Amino acid sequence: MEFVSPEGLRLDGRRPMEMRQLRAEIGIVSKADGSASFEMGNTKVIAAVYGPREVQNRSQQLNDQALVRCEYTMANFSTGDRRRKPKGDRRSTEISLVIRQTMEACIMTHLMPRSQIDIFVQVLQADGGTRSACINAATLALADAGIPMSDIVTSCSAGYLNSTPLLDLNYVEDSAGGPDVTVGILPRSTKVTLLQMDSKLPMDIFENVMQLATEGCKAVANYVHEVLLEKTKQLDKHRGV
Amino acid sequence: MVGLSIGEKHFIEGGIAQNLRTDGRKRLVYRPIQIETGVIPQANGSARVRMGGTEVIASVKAELGRPSSLQPDKGKVFINVDCSPTAAPIFEGRGGEELSSELSGALQICLLGGKSGAGAGIDLSSLSIVGGKICWDLYIDGLVVSADGNLLDALGAAIKAALSNTAIPKVNVAAGASSDEQPEVDISDEEFLQFDTSAVPVIITLTKVGREYIVDATPEEESHMDSAISISVNRQRNLCGLTKRGSAGLDPSVILDMVSVGKHVSEELMNKLDSEIAAAEAREEE
Repeated sequence: MEFVSPEGLRLDGRRPMEMRQLRAEIGIVSKADGSASFEMGNTKVIAAVYGPREVQNRSQQLNDQALVRCEYTMANFSTGDRRRKPKGDRRSTEISLVIRQTMEACIMTHLMPRSQIDIFVQVLQADGGTRSACINAATLALADAGIPMSDIVTSCSAGYLNSTPLLDLNYVEDSAGGPDVTVGILPRSTKVTLLQMDSKLPMDIFENVMQLATEGCKAVANYVHEVLLEKTKQLDKHRGV
Repeated sequence: MVGLSIGEKHFIEGGIAQNLRTDGRKRLVYRPIQIETGVIPQANGSARVRMGGTEVIASVKAELGRPSSLQPDKGKVFINVDCSPTAAPIFEGRGGEELSSELSGALQICLLGGKSGAGAGIDLSSLSIVGGKICWDLYIDGLVVSADGNLLDALGAAIKAALSNTAIPKVNVAAGASSDEQPEVDISDEEFLQFDTSAVPVIITLTKVGREYIVDATPEEESHMDSAISISVNRQRNLCGLTKRGSAGLDPSVILDMVSVGKHVSEELMNKLDSEIAAAEAREEE
Protein backbone atom coordinates (compact mmCIF):
# COMPACT_ATOMS: atom_id res chain seq x y z
CA MET A 1 0.00 0.00 0.00
CA GLU A 2 1.16 3.49 -0.79
CA PHE A 3 1.37 5.66 2.31
CA VAL A 4 3.13 8.60 0.72
CA SER A 5 1.94 9.71 -2.69
CA PRO A 6 4.46 10.75 -5.39
CA GLU A 7 3.54 14.36 -4.59
CA GLY A 8 4.74 13.73 -1.05
CA LEU A 9 1.34 13.72 0.62
CA ARG A 10 0.09 11.18 3.15
CA LEU A 11 -3.27 9.41 3.22
CA ASP A 12 -4.90 12.17 5.26
CA GLY A 13 -3.30 14.91 3.15
CA ARG A 14 -0.48 15.78 5.52
CA ARG A 15 3.18 16.25 4.63
CA PRO A 16 5.53 13.63 6.14
CA MET A 17 6.81 16.04 8.79
CA GLU A 18 3.43 17.52 9.59
CA MET A 19 1.58 16.89 12.80
CA ARG A 20 -2.16 16.56 13.15
CA GLN A 21 -4.18 19.41 14.55
CA LEU A 22 -3.75 19.74 18.31
CA ARG A 23 -6.52 20.87 20.60
CA ALA A 24 -6.54 20.95 24.36
CA GLU A 25 -8.92 22.13 27.01
CA ILE A 26 -8.27 22.39 30.72
CA GLY A 27 -10.77 21.81 33.52
CA ILE A 28 -13.43 19.71 31.84
CA VAL A 29 -14.28 17.40 34.77
CA SER A 30 -15.69 19.65 37.45
CA LYS A 31 -15.32 17.22 40.35
CA ALA A 32 -11.70 16.30 39.72
CA ASP A 33 -8.77 18.20 41.22
CA GLY A 34 -7.32 18.63 37.77
CA SER A 35 -8.51 17.59 34.32
CA ALA A 36 -7.87 18.16 30.65
CA SER A 37 -8.85 16.89 27.25
CA PHE A 38 -6.31 16.50 24.49
CA GLU A 39 -6.97 15.94 20.80
CA MET A 40 -4.49 14.96 18.14
CA GLY A 41 -6.52 14.90 14.96
CA ASN A 42 -9.21 12.31 15.50
CA THR A 43 -7.60 10.85 18.62
CA LYS A 44 -9.30 12.29 21.65
CA VAL A 45 -8.56 11.52 25.29
CA ILE A 46 -9.45 13.03 28.62
CA ALA A 47 -7.42 12.85 31.79
CA ALA A 48 -8.50 13.51 35.36
CA VAL A 49 -6.24 13.81 38.36
CA TYR A 50 -7.34 13.23 41.94
CA GLY A 51 -4.92 14.12 44.69
CA PRO A 52 -2.60 14.49 46.39
CA ARG A 53 -4.82 12.86 48.97
CA GLU A 54 -4.70 10.29 51.72
CA VAL A 55 -3.51 6.85 50.61
CA GLN A 56 -6.55 4.60 50.21
CA ASN A 57 -4.74 1.32 50.64
CA ARG A 58 -2.49 1.68 53.66
CA SER A 59 -0.19 -1.16 52.64
CA GLN A 60 0.84 0.79 49.54
CA GLN A 61 1.77 3.91 51.48
CA LEU A 62 5.28 5.22 50.90
CA ASN A 63 6.90 7.13 53.73
CA ASP A 64 9.34 9.15 51.68
CA GLN A 65 7.35 9.95 48.55
CA ALA A 66 3.92 10.15 47.01
CA LEU A 67 2.27 7.11 45.48
CA VAL A 68 1.38 7.73 41.84
CA ARG A 69 -1.28 5.54 40.27
CA CYS A 70 -2.65 5.49 36.78
CA GLU A 71 -5.50 3.80 35.01
CA TYR A 72 -6.06 3.80 31.26
CA THR A 73 -9.50 2.94 29.91
CA MET A 74 -10.89 2.91 26.41
CA ALA A 75 -14.53 3.70 25.75
CA ASN A 76 -16.50 1.01 23.92
CA PHE A 77 -17.14 3.37 21.07
CA SER A 78 -13.55 4.61 20.76
CA THR A 79 -12.48 2.23 18.01
CA GLY A 80 -13.82 1.83 14.49
CA ASP A 81 -15.65 -1.44 15.09
CA ARG A 82 -17.37 -1.70 18.39
CA ARG A 83 -15.82 -4.13 20.80
CA ARG A 84 -16.71 -5.02 24.34
CA LYS A 85 -13.39 -5.25 26.09
CA PRO A 86 -12.92 -6.48 29.62
CA LYS A 87 -11.44 -3.96 31.98
CA GLY A 88 -7.78 -4.36 32.79
CA ASP A 89 -6.70 -6.30 29.71
CA ARG A 90 -2.99 -6.57 28.96
CA ARG A 91 -2.72 -3.62 26.65
CA SER A 92 -4.44 -1.26 29.09
CA THR A 93 -2.30 -2.47 31.96
CA GLU A 94 0.84 -1.94 29.92
CA ILE A 95 -0.15 1.57 28.85
CA SER A 96 -1.18 2.44 32.42
CA LEU A 97 2.27 1.43 33.54
CA VAL A 98 4.00 3.42 30.80
CA ILE A 99 2.00 6.55 31.61
CA ARG A 100 2.63 6.15 35.32
CA GLN A 101 6.37 5.77 34.91
CA THR A 102 6.57 8.67 32.49
CA MET A 103 4.61 11.00 34.76
CA GLU A 104 6.51 9.91 37.86
CA ALA A 105 9.67 11.18 36.20
CA CYS A 106 8.45 14.76 36.37
CA ILE A 107 6.28 14.83 39.51
CA MET A 108 8.24 15.95 42.57
CA THR A 109 6.99 13.02 44.61
CA HIS A 110 9.38 13.65 47.49
CA LEU A 111 7.42 16.78 48.42
CA MET A 112 4.28 14.79 49.18
CA PRO A 113 5.17 11.79 51.31
CA ARG A 114 2.39 9.50 52.55
CA SER A 115 -0.06 10.71 49.92
CA GLN A 116 -1.51 9.40 46.72
CA ILE A 117 -2.03 10.91 43.27
CA ASP A 118 -4.42 9.21 40.88
CA ILE A 119 -4.27 9.80 37.15
CA PHE A 120 -7.19 8.47 35.13
CA VAL A 121 -7.08 8.63 31.37
CA GLN A 122 -10.07 7.81 29.24
CA VAL A 123 -9.81 7.35 25.48
CA LEU A 124 -12.90 8.67 23.71
CA GLN A 125 -11.59 8.17 20.21
CA ALA A 126 -8.63 6.12 19.12
CA ASP A 127 -6.99 7.00 15.82
CA GLY A 128 -3.36 6.14 16.47
CA GLY A 129 -1.05 7.75 18.99
CA THR A 130 -3.29 7.22 22.02
CA ARG A 131 -0.20 6.69 24.18
CA SER A 132 1.18 10.11 23.29
CA ALA A 133 -2.19 11.83 23.58
CA CYS A 134 -2.72 10.27 27.03
CA ILE A 135 0.64 11.51 28.29
CA ASN A 136 -0.01 15.01 26.96
CA ALA A 137 -3.46 15.06 28.55
CA ALA A 138 -2.06 13.76 31.85
CA THR A 139 0.58 16.52 31.86
CA LEU A 140 -2.09 19.18 31.47
CA ALA A 141 -4.32 17.58 34.11
CA LEU A 142 -1.45 17.37 36.61
CA ALA A 143 -0.60 21.02 35.96
CA ASP A 144 -4.26 21.93 36.41
CA ALA A 145 -4.32 20.07 39.73
CA GLY A 146 -1.37 22.19 40.86
CA ILE A 147 0.87 19.22 41.50
CA PRO A 148 4.55 20.21 41.77
CA MET A 149 6.44 19.08 38.69
CA SER A 150 10.01 19.66 37.70
CA ASP A 151 8.96 20.04 34.07
CA ILE A 152 6.09 19.03 31.82
CA VAL A 153 6.32 15.82 29.81
CA THR A 154 5.20 15.83 26.21
CA SER A 155 5.05 12.93 23.84
CA CYS A 156 4.76 12.29 20.14
CA SER A 157 5.29 9.34 17.83
CA ALA A 158 6.98 8.91 14.48
CA GLY A 159 7.20 6.07 12.01
CA TYR A 160 8.94 5.01 8.86
CA LEU A 161 6.91 3.93 5.84
CA ASN A 162 7.73 3.92 2.09
CA SER A 163 11.31 4.94 2.99
CA THR A 164 10.03 8.18 4.50
CA PRO A 165 10.07 9.15 8.16
CA LEU A 166 6.52 10.18 9.13
CA LEU A 167 5.53 12.26 12.12
CA ASP A 168 2.48 11.49 14.32
CA LEU A 169 1.07 8.30 12.77
CA ASN A 170 -2.69 7.85 12.49
CA TYR A 171 -4.45 4.52 12.87
CA VAL A 172 -4.06 3.39 9.25
CA GLU A 173 -0.35 4.19 9.21
CA ASP A 174 0.11 2.69 12.66
CA SER A 175 -1.45 -0.62 11.67
CA ALA A 176 0.62 -0.86 8.48
CA GLY A 177 3.19 -2.86 10.40
CA GLY A 178 6.05 -0.42 10.05
CA PRO A 179 8.12 0.81 12.97
CA ASP A 180 6.42 3.10 15.45
CA VAL A 181 8.68 5.13 17.71
CA THR A 182 6.98 6.82 20.64
CA VAL A 183 9.10 9.38 22.44
CA GLY A 184 8.41 11.38 25.57
CA ILE A 185 10.68 14.23 26.57
CA LEU A 186 11.14 16.78 29.30
CA PRO A 187 11.28 19.81 26.98
CA ARG A 188 13.41 22.08 29.18
CA SER A 189 16.31 19.70 29.48
CA THR A 190 15.32 17.72 26.34
CA LYS A 191 15.84 14.55 28.35
CA VAL A 192 14.03 11.47 27.07
CA THR A 193 11.70 9.88 29.63
CA LEU A 194 9.84 7.51 27.35
CA LEU A 195 11.09 5.61 24.36
CA GLN A 196 9.31 2.70 22.78
CA MET A 197 9.60 1.12 19.39
CA ASP A 198 8.13 -1.90 17.71
CA SER A 199 9.06 -3.62 14.44
CA LYS A 200 12.59 -3.12 13.09
CA LEU A 201 14.61 -0.25 11.70
CA PRO A 202 18.24 0.25 10.58
CA MET A 203 20.33 2.04 13.17
CA ASP A 204 21.09 5.21 11.17
CA ILE A 205 17.45 5.64 10.12
CA PHE A 206 16.32 5.16 13.69
CA GLU A 207 18.34 8.22 14.61
CA ASN A 208 16.43 10.30 12.04
CA VAL A 209 13.04 8.95 13.09
CA MET A 210 13.74 9.57 16.74
CA GLN A 211 14.96 13.05 15.94
CA LEU A 212 11.69 13.67 14.11
CA ALA A 213 9.63 12.39 17.04
CA THR A 214 11.62 14.61 19.42
CA GLU A 215 10.92 17.62 17.22
CA GLY A 216 7.24 16.64 17.41
CA CYS A 217 7.46 16.53 21.21
CA LYS A 218 8.92 20.04 21.21
CA ALA A 219 6.08 21.30 19.04
CA VAL A 220 3.58 19.70 21.44
CA ALA A 221 5.45 21.29 24.35
CA ASN A 222 5.08 24.73 22.78
CA TYR A 223 1.37 24.18 22.40
CA VAL A 224 0.99 22.84 25.93
CA HIS A 225 2.83 25.89 27.26
CA GLU A 226 0.51 28.16 25.32
CA VAL A 227 -2.58 26.43 26.70
CA LEU A 228 -1.28 26.57 30.26
CA LEU A 229 -0.35 30.22 29.92
CA GLU A 230 -3.78 31.05 28.54
CA LYS A 231 -5.44 29.23 31.45
CA THR A 232 -3.25 30.97 33.99
CA LYS A 233 -4.05 34.34 32.46
CA GLN A 234 -7.74 33.53 32.76
CA LEU A 235 -7.32 32.55 36.41
CA ASP A 236 -5.47 35.77 37.01
CA LYS A 237 -8.29 37.72 35.41
CA HIS A 238 -10.90 35.95 37.57
CA ARG A 239 -8.87 36.84 40.61
CA GLY A 240 -9.30 40.44 39.63
CA VAL A 241 -5.73 41.53 40.22
CA MET B 1 -19.52 9.07 49.08
CA VAL B 2 -20.43 12.60 50.08
CA GLY B 3 -19.57 13.37 53.67
CA LEU B 4 -22.05 15.80 55.20
CA SER B 5 -22.37 17.02 58.75
CA ILE B 6 -25.69 16.94 60.60
CA GLY B 7 -25.96 20.70 60.25
CA GLU B 8 -25.50 20.54 56.49
CA LYS B 9 -28.09 17.78 56.22
CA HIS B 10 -30.63 19.87 58.14
CA PHE B 11 -29.83 22.83 55.93
CA ILE B 12 -30.47 20.87 52.73
CA GLU B 13 -33.61 19.24 54.06
CA GLY B 14 -34.98 22.49 55.41
CA GLY B 15 -34.31 24.21 52.11
CA ILE B 16 -36.14 21.54 50.16
CA ALA B 17 -39.11 21.80 52.54
CA GLN B 18 -39.25 25.53 51.80
CA ASN B 19 -38.88 25.05 48.03
CA LEU B 20 -35.45 26.67 47.88
CA ARG B 21 -32.48 24.39 47.30
CA THR B 22 -28.86 25.08 48.10
CA ASP B 23 -28.07 26.15 44.53
CA GLY B 24 -31.07 28.48 44.39
CA ARG B 25 -33.32 26.21 42.36
CA LYS B 26 -36.90 25.34 43.17
CA ARG B 27 -37.85 21.71 43.76
CA LEU B 28 -38.97 20.91 40.22
CA VAL B 29 -36.40 22.87 38.25
CA TYR B 30 -33.56 21.29 36.27
CA ARG B 31 -30.06 22.67 36.06
CA PRO B 32 -29.20 24.20 32.67
CA ILE B 33 -28.81 21.49 30.04
CA GLN B 34 -26.19 21.74 27.29
CA ILE B 35 -26.26 19.36 24.34
CA GLU B 36 -23.63 18.83 21.68
CA THR B 37 -24.20 16.33 18.88
CA GLY B 38 -21.79 14.49 16.59
CA VAL B 39 -18.97 14.41 19.14
CA ILE B 40 -17.77 10.94 18.08
CA PRO B 41 -17.31 10.98 14.30
CA GLN B 42 -16.65 7.23 14.18
CA ALA B 43 -20.13 6.43 15.49
CA ASN B 44 -23.40 6.55 13.54
CA GLY B 45 -24.70 9.04 16.04
CA SER B 46 -23.44 10.59 19.23
CA ALA B 47 -24.14 13.33 21.72
CA ARG B 48 -22.68 14.88 24.82
CA VAL B 49 -24.97 16.19 27.53
CA ARG B 50 -23.97 18.45 30.39
CA MET B 51 -26.28 19.04 33.34
CA GLY B 52 -24.49 21.16 35.90
CA GLY B 53 -21.29 19.28 36.64
CA THR B 54 -22.60 16.00 35.23
CA GLU B 55 -21.26 15.13 31.80
CA VAL B 56 -22.20 12.05 29.81
CA ILE B 57 -21.54 10.91 26.26
CA ALA B 58 -23.79 8.56 24.34
CA SER B 59 -22.92 6.92 21.06
CA VAL B 60 -24.98 4.80 18.70
CA LYS B 61 -23.31 2.28 16.44
CA ALA B 62 -25.21 0.17 13.94
CA GLU B 63 -23.97 -3.19 12.76
CA LEU B 64 -25.55 -5.79 10.54
CA GLY B 65 -26.70 -8.85 12.43
CA ARG B 66 -29.18 -11.69 12.42
CA PRO B 67 -32.55 -11.18 14.06
CA SER B 68 -33.46 -13.53 16.87
CA SER B 69 -35.64 -16.45 15.90
CA LEU B 70 -38.38 -15.29 18.25
CA GLN B 71 -38.76 -11.94 16.53
CA PRO B 72 -37.66 -12.47 12.94
CA ASP B 73 -38.93 -9.13 11.65
CA LYS B 74 -37.37 -6.91 14.28
CA GLY B 75 -33.91 -5.50 14.88
CA LYS B 76 -32.04 -5.58 18.16
CA VAL B 77 -30.95 -2.80 20.47
CA PHE B 78 -28.34 -3.13 23.19
CA ILE B 79 -27.76 -0.52 25.85
CA ASN B 80 -24.61 -0.47 27.87
CA VAL B 81 -23.29 2.14 30.29
CA ASP B 82 -19.76 2.55 31.59
CA CYS B 83 -18.63 4.76 34.40
CA SER B 84 -15.24 6.22 33.62
CA PRO B 85 -12.84 6.47 36.55
CA THR B 86 -12.33 10.10 35.53
CA ALA B 87 -15.74 10.76 37.09
CA ALA B 88 -14.77 9.50 40.53
CA PRO B 89 -11.84 7.49 41.87
CA ILE B 90 -14.19 4.82 43.24
CA PHE B 91 -14.98 3.77 39.67
CA GLU B 92 -11.41 2.58 39.27
CA GLY B 93 -10.92 -1.03 38.23
CA ARG B 94 -14.15 -2.89 38.74
CA GLY B 95 -15.49 -0.29 41.15
CA GLY B 96 -17.91 1.24 38.66
CA GLU B 97 -19.53 -2.01 37.60
CA GLU B 98 -22.31 -2.00 40.16
CA LEU B 99 -23.47 1.48 39.25
CA SER B 100 -22.95 0.78 35.53
CA SER B 101 -25.21 -2.24 35.56
CA GLU B 102 -27.82 -0.44 37.66
CA LEU B 103 -27.87 2.40 35.14
CA SER B 104 -27.92 0.15 32.07
CA GLY B 105 -30.72 -1.91 33.62
CA ALA B 106 -32.80 1.17 34.35
CA LEU B 107 -32.20 2.56 30.84
CA GLN B 108 -33.20 -0.73 29.25
CA ILE B 109 -36.44 -0.73 31.21
CA CYS B 110 -37.13 2.89 30.41
CA LEU B 111 -36.27 2.86 26.70
CA LEU B 112 -36.67 -0.65 25.37
CA GLY B 113 -39.92 -1.79 26.94
CA GLY B 114 -40.57 -5.43 27.68
CA LYS B 115 -38.88 -8.58 26.39
CA SER B 116 -41.21 -8.74 23.40
CA GLY B 117 -40.09 -5.28 22.35
CA ALA B 118 -43.59 -3.92 22.83
CA GLY B 119 -43.65 -0.36 24.07
CA ALA B 120 -40.10 0.33 23.02
CA GLY B 121 -39.18 3.95 22.40
CA ILE B 122 -37.37 2.85 19.25
CA ASP B 123 -39.40 1.21 16.52
CA LEU B 124 -37.64 -2.14 16.30
CA SER B 125 -39.35 -3.19 13.08
CA SER B 126 -37.74 -0.22 11.30
CA LEU B 127 -34.38 -1.91 11.94
CA SER B 128 -35.34 -5.01 10.00
CA ILE B 129 -33.82 -5.37 6.53
CA VAL B 130 -34.73 -8.87 5.37
CA GLY B 131 -37.22 -10.62 7.64
CA GLY B 132 -35.56 -13.44 9.55
CA LYS B 133 -32.22 -12.93 7.82
CA ILE B 134 -30.64 -9.53 8.31
CA CYS B 135 -31.35 -6.67 10.62
CA TRP B 136 -29.54 -3.76 12.16
CA ASP B 137 -28.12 -4.25 15.64
CA LEU B 138 -27.99 -0.95 17.44
CA TYR B 139 -25.34 -0.66 20.11
CA ILE B 140 -26.01 2.27 22.40
CA ASP B 141 -23.08 3.05 24.66
CA GLY B 142 -23.22 5.55 27.45
CA LEU B 143 -20.13 6.87 29.18
CA VAL B 144 -20.18 8.85 32.39
CA VAL B 145 -17.30 11.31 32.14
CA SER B 146 -18.10 13.46 35.13
CA ALA B 147 -20.58 12.59 37.88
CA ASP B 148 -22.44 15.37 39.65
CA GLY B 149 -25.77 13.74 40.40
CA ASN B 150 -28.77 12.68 38.33
CA LEU B 151 -26.85 10.42 35.96
CA LEU B 152 -29.89 8.52 34.71
CA ASP B 153 -31.75 11.58 33.40
CA ALA B 154 -28.59 12.86 31.75
CA LEU B 155 -27.96 9.48 30.10
CA GLY B 156 -31.57 9.33 28.91
CA ALA B 157 -31.26 12.78 27.38
CA ALA B 158 -27.91 11.92 25.78
CA ILE B 159 -29.32 8.75 24.22
CA LYS B 160 -32.30 10.66 22.90
CA ALA B 161 -30.00 13.26 21.36
CA ALA B 162 -27.64 10.60 19.97
CA LEU B 163 -30.54 8.74 18.38
CA SER B 164 -31.82 11.85 16.63
CA ASN B 165 -28.25 12.44 15.44
CA THR B 166 -28.02 8.88 14.12
CA ALA B 167 -27.78 8.27 10.40
CA ILE B 168 -28.06 4.66 9.31
CA PRO B 169 -26.74 3.80 5.86
CA LYS B 170 -29.29 2.66 3.35
CA VAL B 171 -29.01 -1.00 2.48
CA ASN B 172 -29.74 -2.42 -0.94
CA VAL B 173 -30.57 -6.11 -0.94
CA ALA B 174 -29.48 -8.00 -4.02
CA ALA B 175 -32.59 -9.33 -5.70
CA GLY B 176 -33.02 -12.88 -6.85
CA ALA B 177 -31.44 -14.70 -3.92
CA SER B 178 -33.21 -17.90 -3.01
CA SER B 179 -35.07 -17.92 0.27
CA ASP B 180 -32.82 -20.32 2.18
CA GLU B 181 -29.47 -18.63 1.72
CA GLN B 182 -28.17 -15.41 3.24
CA PRO B 183 -28.96 -12.59 0.81
CA GLU B 184 -26.19 -10.32 -0.35
CA VAL B 185 -26.39 -6.74 0.74
CA ASP B 186 -24.78 -3.57 -0.39
CA ILE B 187 -24.32 -0.83 2.20
CA SER B 188 -24.63 2.58 0.66
CA ASP B 189 -22.12 5.16 1.81
CA GLU B 190 -24.01 8.08 0.38
CA GLU B 191 -27.61 7.59 1.34
CA PHE B 192 -28.56 7.61 4.96
CA LEU B 193 -31.79 7.12 6.82
CA GLN B 194 -32.73 9.19 9.80
CA PHE B 195 -34.47 7.75 12.78
CA ASP B 196 -37.89 8.68 13.94
CA THR B 197 -37.13 9.71 17.50
CA SER B 198 -40.43 11.32 18.33
CA ALA B 199 -41.42 8.23 20.33
CA VAL B 200 -38.22 8.13 22.40
CA PRO B 201 -39.23 8.94 25.97
CA VAL B 202 -37.50 11.25 28.41
CA ILE B 203 -36.45 10.02 31.82
CA ILE B 204 -37.29 11.96 34.95
CA THR B 205 -35.95 10.95 38.32
CA LEU B 206 -37.86 12.20 41.32
CA THR B 207 -35.90 12.01 44.52
CA LYS B 208 -37.84 11.95 47.74
CA VAL B 209 -36.20 13.95 50.51
CA GLY B 210 -38.28 14.18 53.66
CA ARG B 211 -41.85 14.66 52.48
CA GLU B 212 -41.06 16.45 49.26
CA TYR B 213 -39.84 15.35 45.83
CA ILE B 214 -37.12 17.05 43.83
CA VAL B 215 -35.85 16.63 40.28
CA ASP B 216 -32.22 16.71 39.11
CA ALA B 217 -30.72 16.05 42.52
CA THR B 218 -27.09 16.89 43.23
CA PRO B 219 -24.87 14.27 44.93
CA GLU B 220 -25.35 16.07 48.26
CA GLU B 221 -29.11 15.76 47.92
CA GLU B 222 -28.91 12.21 46.63
CA SER B 223 -26.77 11.19 49.59
CA HIS B 224 -29.65 11.47 52.00
CA MET B 225 -32.61 10.62 49.86
CA ASP B 226 -35.13 8.12 51.15
CA SER B 227 -35.85 6.70 47.75
CA ALA B 228 -36.07 7.76 44.14
CA ILE B 229 -38.39 6.90 41.30
CA SER B 230 -37.34 7.16 37.68
CA ILE B 231 -40.11 7.28 35.13
CA SER B 232 -39.89 7.54 31.39
CA VAL B 233 -42.63 9.42 29.61
CA ASN B 234 -43.11 9.83 25.88
CA ARG B 235 -44.79 12.58 23.89
CA GLN B 236 -48.22 11.04 24.21
CA ARG B 237 -47.76 11.28 27.98
CA ASN B 238 -47.69 7.52 28.27
CA LEU B 239 -45.63 5.98 31.00
CA CYS B 240 -42.98 3.82 29.28
CA GLY B 241 -41.05 2.51 32.22
CA LEU B 242 -40.58 2.92 35.93
CA THR B 243 -37.86 1.95 38.36
CA LYS B 244 -37.53 2.59 42.03
CA ARG B 245 -34.17 3.03 43.66
CA GLY B 246 -33.14 3.57 47.25
CA SER B 247 -33.80 1.47 50.30
CA ALA B 248 -36.77 3.07 52.01
CA GLY B 249 -40.29 1.80 51.37
CA LEU B 250 -42.85 4.00 49.67
CA ASP B 251 -46.57 4.18 50.18
CA PRO B 252 -48.40 3.26 46.95
CA SER B 253 -50.35 6.53 46.99
CA VAL B 254 -47.06 8.42 47.23
CA ILE B 255 -45.78 6.58 44.18
CA LEU B 256 -48.86 7.56 42.19
CA ASP B 257 -48.44 11.13 43.29
CA MET B 258 -44.77 11.08 42.27
CA VAL B 259 -45.68 9.68 38.87
CA SER B 260 -48.21 12.42 38.24
CA VAL B 261 -45.71 15.10 39.29
CA GLY B 262 -43.12 13.49 37.04
CA LYS B 263 -45.50 13.50 34.11
CA HIS B 264 -46.11 17.17 34.64
CA VAL B 265 -42.38 17.91 34.67
CA SER B 266 -41.76 15.69 31.65
CA GLU B 267 -43.57 17.98 29.24
CA GLU B 268 -41.34 20.90 30.05
CA LEU B 269 -38.20 18.74 29.88
CA MET B 270 -39.26 17.18 26.59
CA ASN B 271 -39.73 20.60 24.98
CA LYS B 272 -36.45 21.85 26.39
CA LEU B 273 -34.57 18.79 25.13
CA ASP B 274 -36.16 18.98 21.69
CA SER B 275 -35.18 22.61 21.24
CA GLU B 276 -31.66 21.97 22.58
CA ILE B 277 -31.22 19.00 20.24
CA ALA B 278 -32.46 21.02 17.28
CA ALA B 279 -30.07 23.84 18.18
CA ALA B 280 -27.17 21.39 18.54
CA GLU B 281 -27.90 19.83 15.16
CA ALA B 282 -28.04 23.25 13.57
CA ARG B 283 -24.69 24.18 15.11
CA GLU B 284 -23.14 20.96 13.85
CA GLU B 285 -24.27 21.61 10.29
CA GLU B 286 -22.67 25.01 10.20
